[in-house]
Amino acid sequence: MHDLLANLALGFSTALTLPNLGLAFIGCLVGTLIGVLPGIGPIATITMLLPITFNFDPVGALIMLAGIYYGAQYGGSTTAILVNIPGEVTAIVTTLDGHQMARQGRAGVALGIAAIGSFFAGCVSTLVIAALARPLVKLAQLFGPAEYFALMVMGLAFAVVLASGSVPKALAMILFGLLLSAVGTDLETGVERLTFGIPALTSGIDFAVLAMGVIGFSEVLKNLEAPEQRSAAKQPIGRLLPGREDLERSAGPILRGTLLGTVLGILPGNGAVLAPYASYTLEKKLAKDPRRFGKGAIEGVAGPESANNAGAQSSFIPLLTLGIPPNAVMALMVGAMTIHGIVPGPLVMTKNANLFWGMIASMWIGNLMLLVINLPLVGMWVKLLDVPYRLMYPAILVFSCIGIYSVNNSPSDVVLTGVFALIGYALLKLGFETAPLLLGFVLGRLMEENLRRALLISRGRLATFVERPVSAGLLVVALIVLVAAVLPAVRRGRAEVFTE
Amino acid sequence: MMKRLLMLATLCAFQAQAAYPERPITLIVPFAAGGPTDVVARIVGDNMSRTLGEQIVVENVTGAGGTTGTSRAAQATPDGYTIMMGHMGTHGAAPAVYPNLKYDPVKDFLPIGLAAGTPILIVARKNLPPKDLKEFITYAKANSEKLNEAQAGVGSVSFTTCSLLNSILGIKPTRVPYQGTGPALNDLVGGQVDYMCDQIVNLTPQIQAGSIKAYGIATEKRSPALPDVPTTKEGGLPEFQVSAWNALFAPKGTPGEVVTKLNGALGKALDDESTRKRLLDLGADLPDKAGRSPEALQKLVASEIERWGKVLKGQGAGK
Amino acid sequence: MSERAEVPENHAAGRSAIQASQNLIAGLALIAIAAIALGASADLGEGRFYAVGPGLLPRAVATLIGLIGLALTAGSLIRKGDALGRWGLRGPLFLFLSVAAFALSIRTVGLALAGPVAVLVSGAASPETRPKELIVFALVVTALSICLFRYLLHLPIPILIIPNVLVL
Repeated sequence: MHDLLANLALGFSTALTLPNLGLAFIGCLVGTLIGVLPGIGPIATITMLLPITFNFDPVGALIMLAGIYYGAQYGGSTTAILVNIPGEVTAIVTTLDGHQMARQGRAGVALGIAAIGSFFAGCVSTLVIAALARPLVKLAQLFGPAEYFALMVMGLAFAVVLASGSVPKALAMILFGLLLSAVGTDLETGVERLTFGIPALTSGIDFAVLAMGVIGFSEVLKNLEAPEQRSAAKQPIGRLLPGREDLERSAGPILRGTLLGTVLGILPGNGAVLAPYASYTLEKKLAKDPRRFGKGAIEGVAGPESANNAGAQSSFIPLLTLGIPPNAVMALMVGAMTIHGIVPGPLVMTKNANLFWGMIASMWIGNLMLLVINLPLVGMWVKLLDVPYRLMYPAILVFSCIGIYSVNNSPSDVVLTGVFALIGYALLKLGFETAPLLLGFVLGRLMEENLRRALLISRGRLATFVERPVSAGLLVVALIVLVAAVLPAVRRGRAEVFTE
Repeated sequence: MMKRLLMLATLCAFQAQAAYPERPITLIVPFAAGGPTDVVARIVGDNMSRTLGEQIVVENVTGAGGTTGTSRAAQATPDGYTIMMGHMGTHGAAPAVYPNLKYDPVKDFLPIGLAAGTPILIVARKNLPPKDLKEFITYAKANSEKLNEAQAGVGSVSFTTCSLLNSILGIKPTRVPYQGTGPALNDLVGGQVDYMCDQIVNLTPQIQAGSIKAYGIATEKRSPALPDVPTTKEGGLPEFQVSAWNALFAPKGTPGEVVTKLNGALGKALDDESTRKRLLDLGADLPDKAGRSPEALQKLVASEIERWGKVLKGQGAGK
Repeated sequence: MSERAEVPENHAAGRSAIQASQNLIAGLALIAIAAIALGASADLGEGRFYAVGPGLLPRAVATLIGLIGLALTAGSLIRKGDALGRWGLRGPLFLFLSVAAFALSIRTVGLALAGPVAVLVSGAASPETRPKELIVFALVVTALSICLFRYLLHLPIPILIIPNVLVL
C-alpha cells in the first residue's frame, strides 16, 4: 500500500509538469475529434502523429498518444447518439439506445451520461491498473486458445440476448456476421476464402468498413426516405444534463460496465471490443423491464460507455506490464516506445518507473480533462441537430469516406463501404437488425481462430474444451444464457417471435 | 521548332532531377505501424529526411504478409517520390510462399540499399525441458510430433525462418498460426505453445525478464543486446544462419540519379551516431560499407529468392 | 398453397397465401446468401479434427443460414407478418454513386475535387436538395476537410493531382 502511494506520487509528479499536461490535453482533444469523426480512428491518427513525437521526450510522447486513444472513446459516442452513426467501432452499441434518447429530446442527457460514465470508468480502471496490474495479467495468462473459444461462444450466446426483435432473424444475422468474418485469407493455410477473386477482399473485410456501411450509411439512406420521422428528433431539448433519476438509474450499469471493461480489455485479441456488447446484454438481462431497451433506456448508454472506456484503459496493462500488445493500437504504442528507445517488456515497470507511473497518473488527468472538454460541448453538439438534413448527410458522407480511406489508404475500402451500405439498407427493409451482425463479425474471426488453434494443439481432441476448467465453465455459462434467452421466446408462442 | 521543344523538355527533366527532391517522399511500409520493419523505416527515414531536405512520410499499407503494400509500390510512378521498405519476406520468400504473387521482386524493383537487419532467435517457453540448443536439437528430433511451434501467419518472418529451422532439423512439428507476433508471443509466455523463431526486436524484453528462454541467435557473433545467448554456431547448428534484412527499394524505371541520391542519404543515416545507436539498441545489425551498395542488395535478393524457394517448396500458401 | 393468382396491392394478410411478404423475401435472401457461400467455398478443404480446414466454418455457417432461411420462408406462408415496404431507388443509387465517385477520384485527382464531386452527386439522392446551396456547401466542406484531415491530423491524403504537373 505504501509502495502504491509512493509510486502514485512519482506518477503525478511526472504527469503534472506543464509540458506533459499540455501534451495530455492535445492528445485528449485530438482523440475526441477523431472519435467524433466517423471512419477515422485512433490507429490512423496515432500512426500519423508518431513522427511529430520524435522530438518530445518519451513520457510526453506516450502521454499524448495514449490520450488520443482513450479520448476517441469519449468522442465516438457523440455521433452515435446524435445521428445514429458510431464514430468509433466501440460506440456501435451506444447507437441502440443513445439515438433513441436523442429522438425523445434527451440527447443532452445521453451525451452527459456517456461522459460521466466514461469518466467514472476511467478513474476506476486507472486505480485498478495501478494496484492490480500484475495479478490481472496473470489471470489473462490463464487464457489459452480453448478458453478464448469458450469465451467467444459465450459472447455469441449474449448476442442472441442483444437482439430486441425476432430471434431467428437475429440468429441469421449473427451467422451472417460469422460468414463475413471468414472472407479473406485463411490464417492457417494461406488460401483465399470467399473472396471471389476480388483483390480488395484478400485481406478480409475491415470492421470499420462493415460498421460504417451497414450502420452509418444505411442510416443515411433510411433518413432520406422518411423525412417525417426526422422532425420528431427536433423535440424541445429539455435538460442538457442528466438529472437525479437518470444518475440513479445509471449507477449500477456504470459500475458493472466498468468491471466488464476492465476485465475484457486485458485479454489479448481485442477483448475490449466485446466489452460494450457484454455490458449491454448484462444490463438488458438485469433490468426489471427489458423491453425498454432499444427504445431509449439510459442503462443501455451508461453501461456500454463505461465498459468501452474501461476496456480502452485496461488494454494498456498487458502493454505496460508484459510488453505484449493486446490489440492493434497497443501494438502501435510498442512501436512508439521502441522508437523512443524504450523497449516495452516486463522490466518497464521497474526500469522506467517514471514512464509507467507517469502514464497511469496522466490517464487519470486525461479523463478529467475529457470530462471538462466534453460536458460543455454537449450544448454545442445538440445545436448541431438543427442543421437541415439535406446539408448534414452530404457532410457525413464526405467525412466518412475520407475517414474510411485514411484507415488503409485504400479507395477500394470506400467502395466496399458503399456496397455494405446497400446491403445494410436491404437488411433494414427485410426486418433484420444490424447489431447482431456486427457482433457476429467480431466474434467470428476470434472464435474460428481459437477453435482451430485449440484443436491443433490438442491434436484434434474435442475433449480439450471440457477438460480445462476455465473453458468448461465458460461453456456452461454460454449454455445457460442461450437457454434462458430462447426459452421465454419459445414459450411466449411462435407468433410473437416471428412477428416484428 | 520541334528540336527546340525537345531540348527544352530535356533541360526541364534534367533540372527536375537535379533538384530532387522537391517535395515529400512517400515511403511505403507494407506492415503495420509499430512493427520491426516500420520502426527501422521510421528511424532511418527520420535521418534521411534531414539529409535530403524533404520529409520522408511513412505510409503503412498492410495485408497478405506484406505483399499488398509491395504491389502498390511496384505500380507507383517511378519518379523517385514513392519508395518502399521491403524485407526478407517481401523480396525473398514471397515468390515461394504466394503462388499468385502480383509483382516480381527482381524485375519490378530497383534496389537502393540495405537498411538494417534483425537477427533471428530460437526461443521457447520457459518450462520446455531442453536447457540449451544441443539438448533442444535432440529433444526436437525425438519429440517432433508432440511439438507445437508458434508462427505469425503464412509469409511472416517467423513462418519462413522456422521453416528453415524445421527443414534443417528434419522435423515436422505442428505449426500453430497467430495473427501477428504479439498473440504468438503471448501464448509462448503463457506456455500454450513450445517454441518459435522470431526477430530479436520483439523478443529481447521477454528474454531479459525471463518469461521465455532463448536457445540461440542465428548470426555469426553474439548480440550486444543479449550477450548471454549463444550463437547457433556455438550451439551446434551452424547451418541455421538467418537475419531478417530490411532494405529500401524503388519501382523499376526510377532515374539512376535519384537512386544514387537515396542510397547516399541512406548511407549517411547508417553512419549517423544517434541513428546507429537507436538501431543497435534494438539489437539490429547494420550493413558495413561494402554491403550498402545497390549491387550488393541486388545480389542478396537473388540469393534469398533461391534459398527460400528451396526451403519453402510445398510449404507456402495453398498447401 | 393455392390462391397465388390473386395478389392484392395492399396488405397481404388474409387474402393471398403469402402472409408475411417481408419474411418471405428475407427468407429467400438468406437462402441465396447460403447458396452463394456454399458455392464459393466448394473447393475449400474441411480437414480433420486435428487440422480443421478452411472450409469448415464457412460451410457450416452457410448451411445454418440456409436452414433459417427455409424456416422463415415457410413461416411467411403460415404466420401473419409485416408486408414488404416500399424500397427507394433514388437514395441508394446516388449514395452508392457518390461513394464510388469519391473512391475513383481520391487518388487520381485528389481530395480538392473528390470532395465536391461526392457532395454534389449525393445531393441527387434527396429531393430536398437546393443546388446553389449545395455547391457552396460542397466547397466549404471540402475546404474544412482539407484543413482538418491533412493539416491538423497529418493524414497522407492527396489534395490535388494534375498528372505530370502537380501533386499536392
